[in-house]
Amino acid sequence: MSRLAKGGLIDRTAPLAFSFDGRQLRGFAGDSLASALIANDVRLVGRSFKYHRRRGILTAGAEEPNALVTLGGGARAEPNTRATTTELFDGLKATSQNRWPSLALDVMAVNQLAGPLLAAGFYYKTFMWPAALWEKLYEPLIRRAAGLGRLSGLPDPDSYDREHGFCELLVIGAGPAGLMAALTAGRAGLQVIVADEDHRLGGRLLGERQLLDDAPAVDWVGAAAAELSTLPNVRLLTRTSVFGVYDGEYAAVERLTDHLPAPPPGQPRQRLWKIVARRSVLAAGAIERPLVFGGNDRPGVMMAGAVSAYLNRFAAAPGRRAVVFTCTDSGWSTAKDLLDAGVEVAAVVDSRSHPPAAAKAMAARGVPVHLAAVVADVFGAPMRSVEVRTQAGRTFRVAADLLAMSGGWNPAIGLGGNLGARPAWSQELETFLLDAAPPGLAAAGAAAGRFGLAAALADGARQALLAMADLGRASATAPPPRAVDEPASVSPLWYVKPRRTKAFVDFQHDVTTSDVSLAAQEGFVSVEHLKRYTTLGMATDQGKTSQLNGHALLAAATGASVAEAGVVLSRPPYTPVAIGVLAGHHRDEHFRPERRTASHAWAAERGASFVDAGQWKRAQWYGSGDWQAIVNAEVAATRSGVGICDVSTLGKIEVQGPDAVTLLDRLYINTFSTLPVGRARYGVMLREDGFVMDDGTTARFADDRFFVTTTTVNAARVMQHIDYCRQVIWPELDVQASSVTEQWATYAVAGPRSRELLQGLLPDLDLADAAFPYMAAAEILWAKAPARLFRLSFCGELAYEISAPASRGEALVRALFDVGRELGVVPYGTEALGVMRIEKGHPAGAELNGQTTAADLGLGRMMSKKKDFIGRVMAQRPGLTDPHRPTLVGLKPVDGRQRLRAGAHLLAAGAAPVAANDEGYVTSQAYSPTLGHPVALALLARGAQRHGERIVVHDPLRGGDVAAEVCHPVFVDPQGERLRG
Amino acid sequence: MAEPLNIQERTGFGLATVMARKGVTAAMISQALGVAAPDGPAWTAGGGLTLMGSGPGAWLALSESEPAAHAQRLREQLGPLASVSDQSGGYVILRIAGPGARTLLQRGAAIDLHPAAFAPGAVATTVIGHIGVILRQLDETPAYELALFRSYAASFGHWLDAARAAL
Repeated sequence: MSRLAKGGLIDRTAPLAFSFDGRQLRGFAGDSLASALIANDVRLVGRSFKYHRRRGILTAGAEEPNALVTLGGGARAEPNTRATTTELFDGLKATSQNRWPSLALDVMAVNQLAGPLLAAGFYYKTFMWPAALWEKLYEPLIRRAAGLGRLSGLPDPDSYDREHGFCELLVIGAGPAGLMAALTAGRAGLQVIVADEDHRLGGRLLGERQLLDDAPAVDWVGAAAAELSTLPNVRLLTRTSVFGVYDGEYAAVERLTDHLPAPPPGQPRQRLWKIVARRSVLAAGAIERPLVFGGNDRPGVMMAGAVSAYLNRFAAAPGRRAVVFTCTDSGWSTAKDLLDAGVEVAAVVDSRSHPPAAAKAMAARGVPVHLAAVVADVFGAPMRSVEVRTQAGRTFRVAADLLAMSGGWNPAIGLGGNLGARPAWSQELETFLLDAAPPGLAAAGAAAGRFGLAAALADGARQALLAMADLGRASATAPPPRAVDEPASVSPLWYVKPRRTKAFVDFQHDVTTSDVSLAAQEGFVSVEHLKRYTTLGMATDQGKTSQLNGHALLAAATGASVAEAGVVLSRPPYTPVAIGVLAGHHRDEHFRPERRTASHAWAAERGASFVDAGQWKRAQWYGSGDWQAIVNAEVAATRSGVGICDVSTLGKIEVQGPDAVTLLDRLYINTFSTLPVGRARYGVMLREDGFVMDDGTTARFADDRFFVTTTTVNAARVMQHIDYCRQVIWPELDVQASSVTEQWATYAVAGPRSRELLQGLLPDLDLADAAFPYMAAAEILWAKAPARLFRLSFCGELAYEISAPASRGEALVRALFDVGRELGVVPYGTEALGVMRIEKGHPAGAELNGQTTAADLGLGRMMSKKKDFIGRVMAQRPGLTDPHRPTLVGLKPVDGRQRLRAGAHLLAAGAAPVAANDEGYVTSQAYSPTLGHPVALALLARGAQRHGERIVVHDPLRGGDVAAEVCHPVFVDPQGERLRG
Repeated sequence: MAEPLNIQERTGFGLATVMARKGVTAAMISQALGVAAPDGPAWTAGGGLTLMGSGPGAWLALSESEPAAHAQRLREQLGPLASVSDQSGGYVILRIAGPGARTLLQRGAAIDLHPAAFAPGAVATTVIGHIGVILRQLDETPAYELALFRSYAASFGHWLDAARAAL
């Protein structure tokens, strides 16, 4: 055990059992998985992405590139989980990844020998030929060999929630700067949201040993957290990562139950937050840079700041004998932390030649100090010793099992670049800082390059005051606690040369210094090209530890400065986010909302199959068994008796006002000013470009009150079109429009016995042809409440449509079937509806496809010459009036048997099946039970003049040519006698 | 402590869209109906009639009873002042009240429901779970009422059940 005897923010009274690769281990409440592994002397935690090298824990934070494990098992298995940010819980089960058969013995590690073949861009070069093998062979092989954890492939058993947050100040990160910002704004009464990814506030203060107000910093953190939690205007979100900045809002994920074995029943696992903040303070701290030297990826090499965090926060010693390799003052703090924790420090190696203030104390404690020296190589995996090289070139080995490295600090400004602002190089701090930032966002503390503790505290308060001044809010000051700025000087050491072994830049994607050199050598000299050619920074960590080192190496290889080389931008999500939390409650059949008609439950009782029509669920046919037989029976029963179909999904719009009729005359190609009250008329509207937009019937209930219907799919579009016309094009018209699609449940009652049925339902009405003729429309009462009756026919039979308020729609359909039972009434679905409309040659969605004119559909004569209407001028374009345009025809197979498939193309008999001979295509097809053979509607060049001609229906995709005869598109009752009966 | 959440569906109401005709002001509508017609996203009530501002010159008029005669009566009261469309069957109206109501709705609606931004008397046309809703706050319980298209009731119920379980 490497657990220290005392100290740390762990609860030694709360032991927790967990397992790693099947080994039973113990930790304490307050541990992270990584700290518990360290406390149990587990040093090897994973294999690398490409070379399958042994890897240990590198960091103590969200930037961790190495220690990725699969958490849990079965459907809840969560691959690529960072052990460093995983809270330990009792029963936690973690498994290492990317190794076979075991972590210690991984046969794929042979990849290291093939290293030269696997260098940057290897798959562009090595596997180019033969191309056919890429998808079948190379890619699957590479994906199996390289890679991270694997998904379970099982449905996610958990649920995910969402919440919308609104605040005046969003504080991202609750370290010293964030807490000061939150206290300052919170005390002044601002609406504040504080989000921190840890389960405990404090940030770096939890892992360091500074004093605040002469007491341990965690005491101050505790008091600050307690105060914030009592302020009603402050919302504290722990375990919450702000992962993206978008236009006007921030996205965050709150991990509600990831620290538990499983969510309690009904409870979501995570919650997605969309936060609208008037101002925000990015107090995300800084990320320590690794040093780049041979063998720097070996288990036992760890970031110095992480070593301090494991010692101070978790009371876990990552080694027994340590070497510190640094070019910063903070590395020396780690050396002191190691000594204080009782870990032997075998050497402090600083690449700088001037001794920092801490050097004397270190030497006084008997620690060998090597200035102007570097660690040149690491031996053993896990490491057993390092090679130190002095400026003079002298090398010697130092036995140690831990190397703490410190290359300087990069402000964690990733979120600041989400909207495209490029960070700027600070010559003074030798790192990139936010320059422009998303509107309202400002960095504070270490994220703004203010690395000293006192400076960070003051900066947090200052940024909050600036935001408050911006918002015109009175300021109340929250004085920062007394603190000192610890020495924080840095002289960046971007890489150590020469090297005997591989030196890693991007640990997670196995990108080495040689890969960067190769990229430069091959001309990929921009940081963006470097990223894509070497995949540096493209792993799940987005190169949080590697990006700048890679850019510095590229700069050196191209003779540019780091400032000139620039930096790539971080993209959302800043840290990995489960797809499930983005979907929230909207998954599986709830992926999008569905709309149910009033007869839905009734139809389900009758065994209806439902089909999607946009969001609507429509009954497709009723009953189980051979669907074709069911549809044939529904059609036959309707045409010979009476059938009922729910047509409520058609769009319905009330257009009212003194100028309603003027608007309708301008919207439709035909005239509505001549429509009498109590009558309905079929209308066609064009788009501005002259093509057909939609069709439907419009009834007039009063001089100034019309009831417009649209097709189901175009309901919203037509409503928008009408609003656009009345509000934008002709605002002078006094006309109002209101969607009433949802108000009315409508049933088509069709067939020769439909009048009998409706007369039974509505005994007080005179439904005789003379009193209520074809195209009549009336507002009536049914069961003492408003209803509407229309005499309209889509199927070509005597037919009506009856509407009641949707709240009474189910009662209406049940009443219709009660009355109709003795007449043998049947329900029919959209399939039978479609068959009957094809038999009648009515254009529907497949014909109103945005590429057809009114003339194409045989409706050209409806276009009024006496008035203007939308689309009239453009419909006269030569291309739209070309007599060779395909127009609507009917088709029937010559042999009376073969199906004519929709989408098949039409060729003149004997013509070669090439595009140049294409004369049109089949739009709709069905088996006509009325005629006993398949029928189809098609658009055929000069179609109207070709009735009787035999053509070929060519279907190369599904195979087979079918000889068909061109005919009039109305197959059944072309004179329309039945519907007027 | 009160029930954290109380959800009830309103029944037996009349509902209609009222759209002012050209040149007609909210004041003229108010006079004709005897209830102040709010000129913005707010609601007022009087004499059994509630008017919710749903857009410029547009209101949803809710009556506590008489769904059948509601639209016709409005049409008679307003005459040439406004166009009226019956909506009494088109919406489901839910009353959601209790200490948990605001959090529940904030998990659905992407508008600020903090009392400083949305108080009793306020109306918003917004979206919850990809479904359009007209939301209004009734009192400081807090109690809210939301109206949604009837066809979405089942899908909305799925969201409501899931969000309620997570409360």
